[in-house]
Amino acid sequence: MGRYVVRRLLQMIPVFVGATLLIFLMVNVMGDPIAGLCGDKQCDPATAAQLKREFGLDKPVWQQYLTYMGNVFTGDFGTAFNGQKVTELMGAAFPVTIRLTIVAILFEIVIGITLGVVTGLRRGRPVDTSVLLLTLVVISVPTFVTGLLLQLLLGVEWGWIKPSVSPDAGFGELIVPGLVLASVSLAYVTRLTRTSIAENRRSDYVRTAIAKGLPRRRVIVRHLLRNSLIPVVTFIGTDIGALMGGAIVTERIFNIHGVGYQLYQGILRQNTQTVVGFVTVLVLVFLVANLLVDLLYAVLDPRIRYA
Amino acid sequence: MPEQPYEPDGAIAGTGAGGAMDLAASEAQTLERTPGGPRGTGPQGKPRSLWSDAWRDLRRNPVFIVSALFIVFLVVISLWPSLIASGNPLNCDLAKAQQGSQPGHPFGFDGQGCDVYTRTVYGARTSVSVGVLATLGVSVLGSVLGGLAGFFGGTGDSVLSRITDVFFAIPVVLGGLVLLSVVVTNTIWPVIGFMVLLGWPQISRIARGSVITAKQNDYVQAARALGASNSRLLLRHIAPNAIAPVIVVATIALGTYISLEATLSYLGVGLKPPAVSWGIDISAASAYIRNAPHMLLWPAGALAVTVLAFIMLGDAVRDALDPKLR
Amino acid sequence: MLLEVRDLHVEFRTRDGVAKAVNGVSYGVDAGETLAVLGESGSGKSVTAQAVMGILDTPPGRIAGGEILFQGQDLLKLKEEERRKVRGAGMAMIFQDALSSLNPVLSVGDQLGEMFVVHRGMSRKDARARAVELMDRVRIPGAKERVKQYPHQFSGGMRQRIMIAMALALEPALIIADEPTTALDVTVQAQVMDLLGELRREYDMGLILITHDLGVVADVADRIAVMYAGRIVEQAPVRDIYKAPAHPYTRGLLDSIPRLDQKGQELYAIRGLPPNLMDIPPGCAFNPRCPMARDVCRTDVPPLAEVAQDRASACHFWRECLHG
Repeated sequence: MGRYVVRRLLQMIPVFVGATLLIFLMVNVMGDPIAGLCGDKQCDPATAAQLKREFGLDKPVWQQYLTYMGNVFTGDFGTAFNGQKVTELMGAAFPVTIRLTIVAILFEIVIGITLGVVTGLRRGRPVDTSVLLLTLVVISVPTFVTGLLLQLLLGVEWGWIKPSVSPDAGFGELIVPGLVLASVSLAYVTRLTRTSIAENRRSDYVRTAIAKGLPRRRVIVRHLLRNSLIPVVTFIGTDIGALMGGAIVTERIFNIHGVGYQLYQGILRQNTQTVVGFVTVLVLVFLVANLLVDLLYAVLDPRIRYA
Repeated sequence: MPEQPYEPDGAIAGTGAGGAMDLAASEAQTLERTPGGPRGTGPQGKPRSLWSDAWRDLRRNPVFIVSALFIVFLVVISLWPSLIASGNPLNCDLAKAQQGSQPGHPFGFDGQGCDVYTRTVYGARTSVSVGVLATLGVSVLGSVLGGLAGFFGGTGDSVLSRITDVFFAIPVVLGGLVLLSVVVTNTIWPVIGFMVLLGWPQISRIARGSVITAKQNDYVQAARALGASNSRLLLRHIAPNAIAPVIVVATIALGTYISLEATLSYLGVGLKPPAVSWGIDISAASAYIRNAPHMLLWPAGALAVTVLAFIMLGDAVRDALDPKLR
Repeated sequence: MLLEVRDLHVEFRTRDGVAKAVNGVSYGVDAGETLAVLGESGSGKSVTAQAVMGILDTPPGRIAGGEILFQGQDLLKLKEEERRKVRGAGMAMIFQDALSSLNPVLSVGDQLGEMFVVHRGMSRKDARARAVELMDRVRIPGAKERVKQYPHQFSGGMRQRIMIAMALALEPALIIADEPTTALDVTVQAQVMDLLGELRREYDMGLILITHDLGVVADVADRIAVMYAGRIVEQAPVRDIYKAPAHPYTRGLLDSIPRLDQKGQELYAIRGLPPNLMDIPPGCAFNPRCPMARDVCRTDVPPLAEVAQDRASACHFWRECLHG
């Protein structure tokens, strides 16, 4: 197990380098890294040249990347367009997005798994067909449309929620945005659970459990669910990173000042350091979440042994 | 990687529209496991029987018929929008801005006073072209790279696997924002280019997996023992079996690319007016959502139904190819 | 009679039509008796057993008629909750593939102990102790340590012993073993079969042994029921049937066993394939494959007629078969 973790950590390094380098290149090649440093105006050529030297931007890209990563590992993520430290922005933004992600994951677990179990046990019945259709609709409507519609209905028409989230962004305010963020994954968790339940329901060990005279409840909870949820749990685990990175749309709709908002601002103002910094952290979250999921897998399924 | 009966990695990178791409990936995994065709019919287990069986099932499946007919309709109006819309999508009258439905203009007018019906019809061309071309690019690139890596294995395979890992670590919408934020264009090519660039690893992973499984089939081993060349093995014996999961995933992905195009437009990157696309119209309409929701509902509805049609088509094909799940 | 199945009909509704898997099967088992049910796959022998256990998949399966009397009580008239209490406690089943039939993510101790927890209301700790006892009883070495292990950590033979232990846990009156040794190596098969026979004697249980392997049957069974296309075609004490089969299908099965004294001769094989259960031929279902078939076989279903004491055959020409 220990050796497996070490090997996985080593495998993470090239992926981490690759992903950050890729984003670094994309931002550098496509954008103008000093744009925005002179406020909203264009820098005059002399200042621009000086700034470039100052930030080492006259050096080759790979050298810039190394310098940047060197700084990152000492905790220096650079400066954002408004002169704030990127780390300060992160300190403000990540707690908000983490709360939003927690709400989204809770929706996936509670609603997604419940619907999946109910439909998986009733394949082909009306409940199954209608939930299945609903998941398809949720998947088909782009998240931003779902978000706008919910905002319109719940926030404007019926006045149940405030259409935009306050800077505190407490859990209560994040319920509807969390649902919007979760929506596609939620539909997916439902379908995955359903398929998994339906497949395992015909398995030999479930037949054995019935033949043992176990009550239906025990057959379902202890034998069927325990096995069927393994892929679901791993999906939800890997979804954590994806949700945090995908919060851009949701945060924009509900005006939430989280990671997505900062990234969006950074991209609009072509601020290399903000974008690369946030993406670096997101990639790390993604990789660590995946590692944890792999380890969790071994706990859930004793057949898997890591060597 | 640990030995695991279920490979969760297929369902990783997902953001907004991207989430649905993963759906495709994972749902195709059931197919990957049984590449020779679950029924394995026919004297030599040749794929022809798999496909003809699937076709027989599909012809009787109302979901398939409805979605296929809708897609045909969509393609026709993309090619000849004037068949059902006589107006010009760029012919707008500011005086009529935000007005609702009226004779001759069933969907009303948008914020610029353009006819929403005409724009919705003409928007199909953009969405369908983006979807189809991006899917073609992604499928070709992904299958070739993934297929070769799966067939030959070795260093190339390891390198490719790491590269796909890298791409999976970058959220799709985020990548789109960064790459497209500096491109100002009203053609669809940058958007397609971005989708191919970030989308191929998904197909590559599927193709690699199904080629590896197909490679282990007895008849492939037999053909190899009889001295078939690599190219013959790949093209005649492996490809026909390994292609099924790729087709299923690609069909579903097509819908999600259309959705992604709209999402990017909403975020203000990608296509820009005067291009006519559902994404642009939805994005523009979102500013008026309180006063004139019809502006949002028509293009959004068209988009949703289109995506739904492709997802259901892919779903139906997968069910037909994998009767185990029935 | 411990168990008596009377005129049982089971059908499966599929997209392509109704498959008639069991068409009027009747058989009985006494306490302490071993009945072997013999037949090819698709003959309905497993489906009958599943109907007796009450573990048919419904839908698509459906019991279309008949009675299943267990200790004098018609199981088909019981409520599901009463029926459940019979399973495991009154009758238990041993499945063919122990690897897939045991839950992969629960320890064998948990799976064995569960019987006591559910049916006897024992604490988990006591149940665990009983699980160890059971594993000792089926002669799994190191039971105390291995009770915490998972099914995949055992060999095929050991796994099948665990299945047997699970079936024996509550000392049921009847055990149904569905091809219990088919998935095992030949050397292990005999050990497992011996163990099963021994334990059956020790507890004086009735045993229904479902198999397609005539070799296994001869040693263990008291009586044999041969099934074809969802019907019993011959029923007889084991010695009689080997001496002189009263049905051409049974004869075909016996002739297709390789024998040392016929070395060098071509092995007999029954021609043709088992019938499609959605389209069973009229008359005797075996007629298209039968070397003795005549016109009447293609029109009239032969009844299961008594041919001697305790013997029955469903062949129009059982006399010729028996004496020819």
